Amino acid sequence: MALDKQTTAKREFKVVGTRPLRPDGVDKVTGKALYGADLTAPGMLVGKILRSPHPHARIRSIDTSAAEAAPGVKAVITHADFTLPDDEDMRDILVNCMAFNKALYDGHAVAAVAAISEAAAKAALKLIKVDYEVLPHVTDVDEAMKPDAPVIERGRQAETVGEGFSENVTSYCEFGHGDIEAGFTRADHVIERSFKTEATHQGYIEPHACLATFTTDGKADLWCCTQGQYMVRRVCSAIMDMEASQLRVTPSEIGGGFGGKTTVFIEPVALMLAKKSGRPVKIVMSRSDVLRASGPTCSSSMDVRIGMTKDGRITAGHAKLRYQGGAFPCGTVEMGAMAAFAAYDLEAVRTQGWNAMTNRPKQAAYRAPGAPMAIYAVESVVDELCQHLGLDPLDVRLKNAAKAGTKASYGVTFTDIGLSACLAAAKAHPHYAAPLGPGQGRGVSCGFWFNFGGDTCVTLNVNMDGTVSVTEGNPDIGGSRASIGMMAAEELGVPFDKVRTQVVDTASLGYNEVTDGSRVTFAVGLATIKAAQAAKAEMCRRAAMIWGIDAEAVTWEDGCAKPSGPNAGDFPPMTLAEIAAVSSQTGGPIAGHHEVNADGAGVSFGVHLVDVEVDPETGATKVLRYTVFQDAGKAVHPDYVEGQMQGGAVQGIGWALNEEYIYGEDGRLQNAGFLDYRVPVASDLPMIDTVILEIPNPGHPYGVRGVGETSIVPPLAAIANAVSRAAGVRLTELPMSPPRILAALDAARPKAAAE
Amino acid sequence: MQGPVCMILNGQRVDVADVPPTTTLLAWLRERRGLTGTKEGCSEGDCGACTVGLRELGPDGKLVTMPACACILPLPMLHGREIVTVERLAAPDGRLHPVQQAMAEGHGSQCGFCTPGFVMSMWCAYRSEPRPSPERADALLAGNLCRCTGYGPIVAAASAAHDLPRPEWDDDDAAAAPTRLATLPTTALDYEADGRRFIAPVTLDELADAAARNPDATILSGATDVGLWITKRHFAPATIIWTGRVAGLRELKEDDGTLTIGAAVTYREAAARLAAHWPDFGKLVARIAGAQIRALGTVGGNIANGSPIGDMPPALIALGARLQLRHGDKRREITLDDFFLDYGRQDRAPGEIVTAVTAPLPGKGLHLGCHKVSKRFDQDITSVLGCFALTLEDGHVRQARLAYGGMAGVPKRARAAEQALIGQPYTREQVDAAAAALSDDFAPLTDMRASARYRMQVAQNLLLRDYLERTTPGVETRLAPATEGV
Ligand SMILES: Cc1cc2nc3c(=O)[nH]c(=O)nc-3n(C[C@@H](O)[C@@H](O)[C@H](O)COP(=O)(O)OP(=O)(O)OC[C@H]3O[C@@H](n4cnc5c(N)ncnc54)[C@H](O)[C@@H]3O)c2cc1C
Ligand code: FES
Ligand code: FES
Repeated sequence: MALDKQTTAKREFKVVGTRPLRPDGVDKVTGKALYGADLTAPGMLVGKILRSPHPHARIRSIDTSAAEAAPGVKAVITHADFTLPDDEDMRDILVNCMAFNKALYDGHAVAAVAAISEAAAKAALKLIKVDYEVLPHVTDVDEAMKPDAPVIERGRQAETVGEGFSENVTSYCEFGHGDIEAGFTRADHVIERSFKTEATHQGYIEPHACLATFTTDGKADLWCCTQGQYMVRRVCSAIMDMEASQLRVTPSEIGGGFGGKTTVFIEPVALMLAKKSGRPVKIVMSRSDVLRASGPTCSSSMDVRIGMTKDGRITAGHAKLRYQGGAFPCGTVEMGAMAAFAAYDLEAVRTQGWNAMTNRPKQAAYRAPGAPMAIYAVESVVDELCQHLGLDPLDVRLKNAAKAGTKASYGVTFTDIGLSACLAAAKAHPHYAAPLGPGQGRGVSCGFWFNFGGDTCVTLNVNMDGTVSVTEGNPDIGGSRASIGMMAAEELGVPFDKVRTQVVDTASLGYNEVTDGSRVTFAVGLATIKAAQAAKAEMCRRAAMIWGIDAEAVTWEDGCAKPSGPNAGDFPPMTLAEIAAVSSQTGGPIAGHHEVNADGAGVSFGVHLVDVEVDPETGATKVLRYTVFQDAGKAVHPDYVEGQMQGGAVQGIGWALNEEYIYGEDGRLQNAGFLDYRVPVASDLPMIDTVILEIPNPGHPYGVRGVGETSIVPPLAAIANAVSRAAGVRLTELPMSPPRILAALDAARPKAAAE
Repeated sequence: MQGPVCMILNGQRVDVADVPPTTTLLAWLRERRGLTGTKEGCSEGDCGACTVGLRELGPDGKLVTMPACACILPLPMLHGREIVTVERLAAPDGRLHPVQQAMAEGHGSQCGFCTPGFVMSMWCAYRSEPRPSPERADALLAGNLCRCTGYGPIVAAASAAHDLPRPEWDDDDAAAAPTRLATLPTTALDYEADGRRFIAPVTLDELADAAARNPDATILSGATDVGLWITKRHFAPATIIWTGRVAGLRELKEDDGTLTIGAAVTYREAAARLAAHWPDFGKLVARIAGAQIRALGTVGGNIANGSPIGDMPPALIALGARLQLRHGDKRREITLDDFFLDYGRQDRAPGEIVTAVTAPLPGKGLHLGCHKVSKRFDQDITSVLGCFALTLEDGHVRQARLAYGGMAGVPKRARAAEQALIGQPYTREQVDAAAAALSDDFAPLTDMRASARYRMQVAQNLLLRDYLERTTPGVETRLAPATEGV
């Protein structure tokens, strides 16, 4: 860990940068933490959802009478119980939660029951009769774009989509600058390749779960595992046609989300069942439901063309990206098109993106949504150019790296960024110089993510016993309660263990955007620091009042109010605890709060270095060594930053090597379980080494940048580059499962012999 | 004897009489006992979030502590056993158990949903064996999925727990466990609830009798297949007969040059013995599922289910194993290959039970090579498994039994390939000829695990790999360092 050496942050911190125990740690190791499925309510019913076995079918009718009459059944619902909202996004979310006129993918919900037991609910599902007219289906992105493809829904195509496509193509986007054709002419070598990546799933271990209660006067309570209780409130109140204030959403402890819990799947269903039955209803998704009917990633098909001079200067880049995001319009390809070439300082670059609808579940965000596949394609071609021209892949990246002042292909001009620092650190790292054995290969790749800020709201209460309560509205998925508490402690100058941070329900705090976009440590941290500053100002005012001096004559230092200089008077400093203890006599409780639409999140770059070995007899790949280099701005809790870097890298390794959605000819998902949707286990992995770099983000008082997402971006290409070098053949399809690698080796063999 | 299911839960005796026999331990813990620390991530034995500690007295009377998946464990299988959940580990005064403390201090949890399962896997290992090496920790934890951490901090915590002071309360509890277990009934169980029966005989005669009388009953051993039918297909048979309490079926015996493995011997129990005689067989068993499944799944169940991708049959067939069956009083013995008639069809009459499998102990010159190919190294189902028992003499192949899984509707010998080797000098040319002959032996299927072409190609490559390993000592032919033990 080169953290200390490479710290460039100028400010001295006392709490930030240390590694205290996480406040939720004990609850988690003792099993006390309460997740989505862990709550029960008196009189609670079990909700179960009937799902379409067909990938595409018109629903002629649904007969629920037998189910309604079955013993123990308290409510049965279908789309007929809902009204379509006016807002298009809300409508799509509802139709995804409950099919209206058509079942759009294998696993699409078509009806639901609430019954007194699991067994009664399951038995009732079997009694629901759905009359389907099975329609032709399409699950592959290239197939879905062809003019004669079965159309998922008419009338969703944007005008920007040109001629010659199926109506499934909903949108087109384009970014870039400069004359790429001129750029390609200047190149000494141009490589164009096509790539495909399969959809993957976030794979959070906790399935979606919620518990809904309705009161007779139309108020509702919802307990659920989500990345954003306010999002759930907004969506569900729109769908249920109720005022936001009437629905209180309390987030449970969340068992992983990675973007997959930034929307709803079962919550409106549970609410409707609760409303209809008049009793609390709990729904817990099964693992196969999660894989079939929550929100996996897009799958993609891409063409990338890059030109390079003999000395490694990229002269032009062009990427055409085609993503499918399931049975609804989806904007993720735009992120891919913006991110594809973000790591490079280019004179001529063009990216184009098309989104297509298919008979698959509606995609949801997954760590840096849209970026991993696009950057995989670009970084693969860059690597192949390096191989072809005999250039060092890190030197080439350093030569072309985006830096402060670079105009990115998506239009912005970067300020301080850490890409070159990451590349240089990788180059200097012993890993890069370590010898490789036979059958082994080394791959590198850059990664990028925008990072977001957004609507944020924090309240900080100074308690009379000298402790501090921070109230925030973002479910803690990676240790943010600790990081937020640390920033509050830092700013107030009190020990970390005097601060407790809590994530609260929607009635207790103003609106917060979901936990996504790597925004929490940045934006909630920013608001927390500002809230602490407000509390400090108030405490200075109280001290001034006690001392009988001007508020301006008091400063805050090391957790105490002090006269700001000899002229201000000679009073012993008052600690936070002392001021808090007498707050009642000085004007009442002390608190600070801050509301902001946070801007300036600061983009983030990373570089991954990996060694693999490929088994020529079986096509299996072993990851031997892995090092992550990433700019964290300022690492508030370095263990958690490392945790994000390692966790993202491992998800990317899974994506690169084994994880994939496998649809059969019949359009059904064939591997809807953890045994065949293979996420890595401990023995698949080496220890993931990490090097945190700290290039402060000017947009945050402590220099913090989001770190959670960038780490999933580089592994796809880093591993593909390593495998391609180890195997001596370029792999262009993900995942690089053993059968794919063996087939590629096989295809290369006769050619090699013939040459 | 009619009666309730009697067990120890977190140190307390609990008798259960009111839940259907197919109620899983997980559902019962969470819904009936309010013990929500044990999590549900899949209900298929794949993720380990539901891991609990399972205790019983071994054949030698010593306490055994092993991890088990609560999600696929029918509750009556706990009759006579002890269950320990995550809620039990900390001291009564709140001090954390070393495995918990190491996880908390080492930041082994992010979202924490996987944490109770990991903690329980670590606890079982902590109670049973010394500080694990990193490789050993990987093997111990291969049945637990974590999506947040990348595993590094967790693997480190498994070791770091051994640096912390001994938890005297936990040692005392373990010392008292045999006495607690001894209070539980040792007689047969005949449990009935919700109009459905669960019978657990304790002698082989009783078992054979019960099975013959109830030919429609489901025979249950470790429930690592049957448990999934319950959670995925809502399987609820009228009668279940469990083999796990029949002492005679849980024996491993060696005499007259023969190893006899009782049908109810678990992977965990068989592993060391198999490894001692056939090191590769030991490594193969170590790669079946994760520790939680290996503690429950049985050799007999893996054979009786007739799966073409079960890992035990090819290895046993290659060794020339024989299968013992019993129907009421009638006993018979057949070669193991003959048991597998066709996809989904075995030579077993309704009411007949598998009692044991026997294999000749290795004679001079015999070596067994087992090569499992799956997408993931651990915790994955076989795409192709090749098990090759060759007896070499003076550079010639005297005997060859080549058995494959994943290449046909049943585990099957490659007779044509065997013929290409037997009596021939053991050379690359002959091995190539045997590989070519595999296309006479098999016409594999394409499914989502692998294509027909991949299967055939790999089946052939495995013969070559086996040859290289036998002829070039020290040659590196396998990617992952095989981890020892189970
Ligand atoms: C997560 C997971 C991973 C797995 N990975 C692997 C793997 O890598 N390799 C592999 O080979 N398997 C694997 N399996 C399956 C494997 O555990 C089972 O096949 C196991 O061996 C079955 O044994 P059991 O005792 O649990 O059988 P049960 O589930 O109890 O029974 C299985 C079948 O055998 C019948 N049966 C059981 N005992 C007898 C008997 N004595 N006489 C007659 N019939 C009997 C039952 O009626 C049933 O039909 C995995 C399972 C899971 C859940
Ligand atoms: S819940 Fe996943 S193994 Fe039991
Ligand atoms: S900590 Fe989230 S799954 Fe392991």
